[in-house]
Amino acid sequence: MQSRRYIFRHVLHAAGTLLFVLAFNFVLFRAVGDPVELLTRSTLHLDPQEKAALREELGIDDPIPQQFVNYLGDTMRGEFGYSFMSGRPVTETISEKIWPTLLLVGTATILSALFGILIGIKGAWQRGTAFDTGSLFGSLTLYSMPEGWLGMILLITFAGVLGWFPAGGYESTDPLTGFEHVLDVARHLFLPVLTLTLGYLGEFAIIMRSSLLEVMREDFVQTARAKGVRDKEVRRRHAVPNALLPTFTLAFYSVGFILGGAVIIEEVFSYPGLGQLTYQAIDNLDYPVIQAIFLLSSAAVIFCNLLADITYGYLDPRIKEA
Amino acid sequence: MRRTRRAWLVMGLATVVLAGLAGPGFAQSASPEAEKVTLHIGTGEDINSANPFKAFNTSDYEVLLMNYNMLYGFSAKDLSPVPELTTGCEPSTDHMTWTCDIRDDVFWQDGEKLTAQDIAFTYQLIVDKDLGFFADYLPFNPTFTAPDDTTLVWKAEEPTLAPTVPPYIPILPEHIWGRFAGKDVSVKELEAYEPVPLIGSGPFQLTEWEPGQFWRMEAVDDHFFGDPTIDEVVYHVYTSDEGMVQALKSGEIDYAYDLTPTLARSLESDSDIKVFQEAADYHTNLAFNFGGQAKAYPAVYGGQPDKEETNHPAIHDHAVRLAIAHAIDKQAIVDTVFQGAAVPADTFIAPDKVFWHLDIPSDQEYDFNIDEANQILDDAGYTERTADGVRIDPKSGEPLDFEILTITNSRGSVKTGELMAGWMEQIGIKFDLKPVTDSKAGVDWKYGTFDAYVWSWGGDPDPDFNMSIYTTDQCLGWSDGCYSNPQLDEIYQEQRREFDRDARRDLVNEYQRLYYEDIPEISIAYPETVSAYRTDGFEGWVNSPTQGGAPIFAWRVDSYMNLKPVTAGGATAADEGGMSTGLLLGLGALVLIAIVAYVVMNRRRSEEDEA
Repeated sequence: MQSRRYIFRHVLHAAGTLLFVLAFNFVLFRAVGDPVELLTRSTLHLDPQEKAALREELGIDDPIPQQFVNYLGDTMRGEFGYSFMSGRPVTETISEKIWPTLLLVGTATILSALFGILIGIKGAWQRGTAFDTGSLFGSLTLYSMPEGWLGMILLITFAGVLGWFPAGGYESTDPLTGFEHVLDVARHLFLPVLTLTLGYLGEFAIIMRSSLLEVMREDFVQTARAKGVRDKEVRRRHAVPNALLPTFTLAFYSVGFILGGAVIIEEVFSYPGLGQLTYQAIDNLDYPVIQAIFLLSSAAVIFCNLLADITYGYLDPRIKEA
Repeated sequence: MRRTRRAWLVMGLATVVLAGLAGPGFAQSASPEAEKVTLHIGTGEDINSANPFKAFNTSDYEVLLMNYNMLYGFSAKDLSPVPELTTGCEPSTDHMTWTCDIRDDVFWQDGEKLTAQDIAFTYQLIVDKDLGFFADYLPFNPTFTAPDDTTLVWKAEEPTLAPTVPPYIPILPEHIWGRFAGKDVSVKELEAYEPVPLIGSGPFQLTEWEPGQFWRMEAVDDHFFGDPTIDEVVYHVYTSDEGMVQALKSGEIDYAYDLTPTLARSLESDSDIKVFQEAADYHTNLAFNFGGQAKAYPAVYGGQPDKEETNHPAIHDHAVRLAIAHAIDKQAIVDTVFQGAAVPADTFIAPDKVFWHLDIPSDQEYDFNIDEANQILDDAGYTERTADGVRIDPKSGEPLDFEILTITNSRGSVKTGELMAGWMEQIGIKFDLKPVTDSKAGVDWKYGTFDAYVWSWGGDPDPDFNMSIYTTDQCLGWSDGCYSNPQLDEIYQEQRREFDRDARRDLVNEYQRLYYEDIPEISIAYPETVSAYRTDGFEGWVNSPTQGGAPIFAWRVDSYMNLKPVTAGGATAADEGGMSTGLLLGLGALVLIAIVAYVVMNRRRSEEDEA
């Protein structure tokens, strides 16, 4: 009963936030001006009839409440209109770019969480050793390093000077299929993923380390040790699972932000993902595209937060009772 | 022991994966496509559209140039008109009818024959549908007919030399575009048509386009321009200049177009790379807004504008514009904003148009002189100042506080604005800078809600278009700020009817002189494009125009037709890639051995500790 109420509360909270984002999105993009004006600014000779037809097509002749209902309906159906820039459906434009981004940011998030956690655990468990000092210094350095700069250094070294990896793009221009294609995509992915992994890694390592250090001072860890449990077992069974919670939350949040793309890294590596699309859409005042990306990334963050909250409740029942 | 074996296994696998990923040679050598001769070009600008009517950026125009033919092209020497699809056009004595002989050896890329009717169709379509950029090349309500396959008749309501200006219009196949000719077909439908592969009559064909990544132009067999050695050109889109430079260094691309000058200079030490500056073909400007958009609005857009224009009345005072002109240090802008890769500008016709460009002698130029600028304003009665030291317009009582748009995605605009604001402060004028994207500036432009902007203008080899910008008719057309001067209007019309090239040049010069004196805008700099290419990949680059022009992204396809792979001596880029793969294998293995050894030893130690 308790847990059902807990879930319900969080789902309601998430739904409320999403509705707010929807309303905000609706108002924001109507506050910037008449879409017809924006759409036709480059067409010099558009007669009033053509304009009226366009207004009807865009549905902006209806009263505002009706427009909002239509907007909600369209959003539910995944219809986001047409890009001003290309004239193609927004859904199509975004779905083309979403996979490269998911691949890039997703892979980097998984790798950075994995290595970050391992480094954090080792650092905390061997506190004060050369590894701990070194990894803490490294994590802090990587954490505070501007990603774009790091990307540039890796680009110059591995693409320019050594020529091991391509300097940009998602795939080569040769028509490849099957395994060759997979390898080709992986080659293009390597440097941007490496940059992002190094960029995200520090945060995971630092949080894991401090969380584990805290847990190591807890009584149950001392008790386990006193019972004569082997050091490795204490770490694996008692300390790490309890210390994972904050890192776990961070991982969920990071996943939520995947859809926001990695604007700077995609720019540096000329990687055709959502980040680049966002940049271009803003550059061209392509409101339908910006609106859809804005909504999608907000929804992803809200959804992942919800997932984190719910799972957290199960991992740590104390939260549910609070 | 078991652990050690596992570690070796992991190490082996990782080495294989890394070796597979690294080095450019792997995938390409395995592909049958490798036998093709491919020229790889890097650029920062993707195609905007595959629809010729939506072409506006340099990349779009390169596709038009390669994929289609025009009635007249541009000469290699000085870009003057030379016959392309025609063998020549003859005017009637009144210059209202032109008759052109059309070549009969030209075919569309789908095998159909190109006839005079295709040309008549294309031009008529543009006139009937009033298609923006292109319609301006076809003045005085013309009609186009093709009495037979090799004759085009162009009739205008007034004498014109438009056919030989020449119109920069790609000729389209009627058998494909004919469906859009009807009155019931809207411009929107026409513009939504984006066929790839594109069917044209040019020596190359756009066969593939991955937006944001690359596009591919394949050579056409048996073209009347000749038979190029290269089979295809692939254009790679780079969103970072640094990425493009690194790709050039590693040999992924053969040519890097339009680089940041400082970055390009870093390539100069590479013996296999040639860096060069091409003559400027556009100018940057500070364009003033004279107001009048609201009046022109109903005729252009229908209805009334939603916003009121906000232009400052003092912009109309020549003394204010003159003072501003004296307070701009063009050389400083060239040196700092364009890092030396530009020339201070006088007029709107860039110096690469050698025949038309008017060079204002240096003793007649507005020299950079803050004292003189202050004196001009004092003499004109702008002596009162606000508490902040900003001069007050005696007529309107408003301080000389101007809203200046700088364009964030136009090269050098924002920095130029910042420099100017500093100089203006010294003469009691405030430049209130508003950095916006070009799209947003377009909205301000439409309503006249700005006082001036820092932007740029390019143009055709013929000056007609650029001259039209400053005419009264162009308010909410091509005009920046609805400038109007009857004298300029008159000269503009006169040169349109002057059929003697030298006499026309006199008129064009007179126009430029008046433009310089009346200051509808201030020409600031002619920025030069800095590009670089590898010398070990291809040879035979041809500039157009020959003197100071660019080998590609220019006015002719000579480079593409003439390029040949470098065969003699030296390693090609692909070979270097192969070497680095081997090097990597060794290095990768070493690094992994070190890591695994460390982990294994560490584990043993901790196990011993625990035991």
